[in-house]
Amino acid sequence: MCGIAGIMYKDSRSTGLAPIGEELIKMLETMVHRGHDSAGVTVAGESLDSDLLIRIWADESAPAEETIARAKETVMSAGGAIVSAEARDSYLRLTANYEGDVPRLAEALLQTPGVVLHSIGEVSEVIKDVGTPVVMDERHGISRLSGTHGVGHVRMATESRVDISHAHPFWAYPFTDVTVVHNGQLTNYHGMKRDFESRGHHFQTENDSELIAVYLADKLAGGVSLDTALEASVDDLDGTFTYLVSTRDGMGYAKDRWAAKPLVLMETDSVVALASEEVALRSVFTDELERTEPQEHEVMTWSA
Amino acid sequence: MVSLDASELTTRELNKQIKALAEEGVDEIVITNPAARHNLAVGIRRPCNIKIEGSVGYYAASQLDGPEISIDGNAGWALGENLMSGKISLSRSAGASVAASMRGGEVFVGGNAGARAGISMKGGTLLVAGDSGFLTGFMMQKGRIIVCGSIGEAAGDSMYEGTIYVGGEVGSLGADSRYEEPGEDELIELWAELEQNGVAGRPRFRKIVSEKKLYHYDTLERFERTLI
Repeated sequence: MCGIAGIMYKDSRSTGLAPIGEELIKMLETMVHRGHDSAGVTVAGESLDSDLLIRIWADESAPAEETIARAKETVMSAGGAIVSAEARDSYLRLTANYEGDVPRLAEALLQTPGVVLHSIGEVSEVIKDVGTPVVMDERHGISRLSGTHGVGHVRMATESRVDISHAHPFWAYPFTDVTVVHNGQLTNYHGMKRDFESRGHHFQTENDSELIAVYLADKLAGGVSLDTALEASVDDLDGTFTYLVSTRDGMGYAKDRWAAKPLVLMETDSVVALASEEVALRSVFTDELERTEPQEHEVMTWSA
Repeated sequence: MVSLDASELTTRELNKQIKALAEEGVDEIVITNPAARHNLAVGIRRPCNIKIEGSVGYYAASQLDGPEISIDGNAGWALGENLMSGKISLSRSAGASVAASMRGGEVFVGGNAGARAGISMKGGTLLVAGDSGFLTGFMMQKGRIIVCGSIGEAAGDSMYEGTIYVGGEVGSLGADSRYEEPGEDELIELWAELEQNGVAGRPRFRKIVSEKKLYHYDTLERFERTLI
């Protein structure tokens, strides 16, 4: 069992950015009974004064300061100009101006010893940690992040180990701003993973949800729309799943053919919110609300 | 009438107080500010009258024997699970597995029901004013599911006994279920039930029953077996 949440303010580009970080934390905290192991969010549609926002975690193989210094060097030697660098514990939030090829930069960072790359975005970032949403917020200051939309996750691990790398969201490497949160299990994970590996893809974790991100990235690389990629996924992925995807300016959900994992949806003219449970929607929207329950084999997307 | 503010109580404390009030014989218990929380008003085994003013979460009004509960809002998964007797009325939509394994009484859903409505039903009536989802009546063994709107895919999959009535479209029949024409008397009774529950219209119901090709069980309760 896991809990997923998503929220988008459709007009926030013109009416002012919304408190996405704070609202995602509220929604996730009310669903903490669905997973205490780790938590994570993507805050998207942020207002940045740089080309790229890079989120890095320094693993335990070396002192964090050394890894963080190496990561900065990698960005600079790839041709990036660092605009800001904010280090908290073993985490680095880096904004940089960079006009080169993002996959090349991502590859260079992945080759840097100790660096675990959580996301590269033009308008979004992934923050994930072990523990509960409130604890994560205290450590990372997620509540202060504004944007147009975002997705989040609380994890109860069922298929791979509990650590920061196996927390959600998963970035659809190397596509900027495409991230996934997932509740469920993929039963054709190993077969599909082998297919991707035989085509040269390197997986960063053993979490089956990473496959969804990789799968969507592959579809998008083939030039299909997000809608089409989501529609294909409900046939290609086997198992019980409900997942949310966040892109540069969009958000969507896909639900398996068995309707096995919950999701409720609330939509008005200005906002759309999704969560595993209605109690999460009520943590942000306190009045009684009209909500629907997406059914089996369904996908839907929205744009901000 | 006694009113309890759910926002001031833990779920355990709230349920304890509801049970105690039911034992005392209080004629009406009103729950305010439920805020879609889980496990509200569960495990009550006495007739009593409970009004919940707002949406509830998972397993609301489950494990009941006797109460009449009305909920003004939505419900999460498994509303009214294992109802033995009494009535649950929900003004809006229910999540998946509404009335799972119910054995008696009535569950009324004013909006739509999610997937697996009436899964493994063993008696009583589930009435849905709107549509119901995938696998409605999955493995039902007794009782009636009445859906005024449409049903999704695999309706009545692997049902052993019992009846599903549907007023609208059916996505597909599940394994081992088939259509049957309801009699005029049956329709008149159903329409009267709709009227009692404030549901407008007189849908021309179709009936889904077990085809019994996978039927390898008797349908008697333990006490019924002693009678033959």
